Amino acid sequence: MKSRLKSFAMWPAATVLGLAIGFTAASAETYRIGLAVPVTGTGADAGKREAIGAYAAVNAINNSGGIDGNMIELSFADTGGNPQDAVNAVRKLAGDDEVLAIVGPHYSGVAEATFPLGNRLGIVQIAVASSKPGVAEANRPYAFRNTLTEDRVAAAVVASFKARNNPKTVAIITDIKDAVSRAIGTAVLPAALKAEGIKILNEGDPVTFQTGDAQFTAQITSLKAMNPDAVGLGALGPDALNIITEARRQGMEQPFFGTAPLMEGNIPEKGGDAVTGTIAGTIWDYSLADERSRQFIADYEAIAETLYPGEFTKRPDYYAVNAYDAVYMIKAAIEASAIPPGRSGLEDARNRIRDYMATLKDFDGAASSGFNDVGDGVKNVIVFEIKNGHWVPMQ
Amino acid sequence: MIAQQLVNGLMLGSTYALIALGLTLVLGVFNKLNIAHGDVFMFGAFAGLAMAAAGASFAVAILAGMAAAATVNVLIERFCFHPLRNSHFLAPMLSTIAFGIMLQNVATQIWGSDPSRFPNVEATMHFHFGGVLLSSVQVVVLAVSVVLMAVIDLVIHHTRIGRALRATAIDREIAGLLGINTGKVIFFTFLTAGALAGIAGVLTANVYSQITPHIGIRQGMIGMVAMVIGGLGNLRGAMLGGMAIGLVEILNDAYLGAAYRDLVVFSLFFAFLIVKPDGLIPQNRAVRV
Repeated sequence: MKSRLKSFAMWPAATVLGLAIGFTAASAETYRIGLAVPVTGTGADAGKREAIGAYAAVNAINNSGGIDGNMIELSFADTGGNPQDAVNAVRKLAGDDEVLAIVGPHYSGVAEATFPLGNRLGIVQIAVASSKPGVAEANRPYAFRNTLTEDRVAAAVVASFKARNNPKTVAIITDIKDAVSRAIGTAVLPAALKAEGIKILNEGDPVTFQTGDAQFTAQITSLKAMNPDAVGLGALGPDALNIITEARRQGMEQPFFGTAPLMEGNIPEKGGDAVTGTIAGTIWDYSLADERSRQFIADYEAIAETLYPGEFTKRPDYYAVNAYDAVYMIKAAIEASAIPPGRSGLEDARNRIRDYMATLKDFDGAASSGFNDVGDGVKNVIVFEIKNGHWVPMQ
Repeated sequence: MIAQQLVNGLMLGSTYALIALGLTLVLGVFNKLNIAHGDVFMFGAFAGLAMAAAGASFAVAILAGMAAAATVNVLIERFCFHPLRNSHFLAPMLSTIAFGIMLQNVATQIWGSDPSRFPNVEATMHFHFGGVLLSSVQVVVLAVSVVLMAVIDLVIHHTRIGRALRATAIDREIAGLLGINTGKVIFFTFLTAGALAGIAGVLTANVYSQITPHIGIRQGMIGMVAMVIGGLGNLRGAMLGGMAIGLVEILNDAYLGAAYRDLVVFSLFFAFLIVKPDGLIPQNRAVRV
């Protein structure tokens, strides 16, 4: 019943998506790419931003003549933010829609289900948010992630944090439900802190919570009793916002730090003074205004209001830029491998895209430069902190 | 730390008790379970939050949450229970599952899936009692919850509508023959249960800062657990069950870890159903709806 209702709820979005690509679907000789992100359920807002990012790239490519005059067509399937629906989405895109490659999925927990399927079906997936270490490595050769794994982000964040604040002790609080947050709280942050010689007060026994918990009173009371110099977060942004707010309510003044997932969910804008001084790292932020970023933002904003209007999709995040770049990577693979348009020779075309991605090292994207040997993105880490209601590069 | 954790547990338990009260009212009078009750809670929270975001006072936000949730709950009676009153006994309950999912989707379309935040949550006073910290919002939440529980108890046991409600709960047909307008009683029951869920939603959103369209799923489940532990259809039991579950959850999170929370809570739920199905307050001592 739930999935039927979800399908019903998707109607308006699907209609708008159809309108958005209507002009590109007229020719039979198109290049068809799949998009598998959540626009309902958990992570729907981030998924909508990713969808806008992918459609923005397709529109920009088609508006400038497509690939040798042949348009790109985007086939969309909602993953609902859960592995079951995501597996069905990948099956639909690969089997029914006969796409060349898939942009998505979003979560590591979902990618752990769809990547093995992609290997069996012989189709490349480029995840746009998953950053739990080892997920692409465990699913060679068709799994790619245009993201940076959290261990690299954590190393940069902890090093910068130590250089400026010099904390001696840290306590860790972690999500035990979300795959990437759990990995950050139980393995990634402890390793980064140890490498910098910072003592973990609750090593091996982090304070725990579950994704989407409504309240964190017990957890903060426990953290406060430890009296650390700082608190490390294995948490998604929305939960982190709740945690930090509760900490301030209970009188904790210590800084909080974490990795890329902390930067989703508009913490600075929603958290006010409570979250000022929070530190995280990522590969791209709206505040970065180089030429490629400006082009991406312009392409994104050109269709955001048409596709998924609302406050939560108005501004692109680093997931959206990953999706945008992923479409351009597939375009580059098609051009470099001289793949013909249409649906014939699909297996060979999919394998040529896989081979291209496996050696892609010098891609000139808005926030991407290719993949390493295990299929994870190669990107620069930028450490940010919250100041005056915004993420700004840490000084 | 233990004293602070106990206060945390009572705070959480008081909102669970309000949810369990609403569920119990409908179950006691109507003998039907409203699975969408948690989503009514969510909708009330969002309505209150929308008013607060527009600059309304906390009191107005609570009233808005009550009104919205009460309206939605009456709609549930009209569209889920009333048309299916002669169907298989599971049909109305199943229809409330669908209604709940529809509410979640409507809320997602209006307010988005990212957590929405109650404005000015930092603008509260803090009180220290020894090593225990209480914020003014927490004091308000606890006071409102306790007063509401007392009012509901008084209304059920010492007023005319309360007598009508209890009579309808015992036997709707005979109550009707005795001149009680059972239709009005049912309307009042859903209205009150919805208003309680709405208040619980606004209080929860305020004290814990944020809500999402999916927050009601677990809150509704916990309301059911509290109802069973307190005693099915037993209002005072629902209050006690809510408080008990709040304490269990907090102490579990503090000393065992969140990974065991659902295992502990739902093991307790299961154990009560099997070993002590009458709940914490035995039926002969309980004053049922």
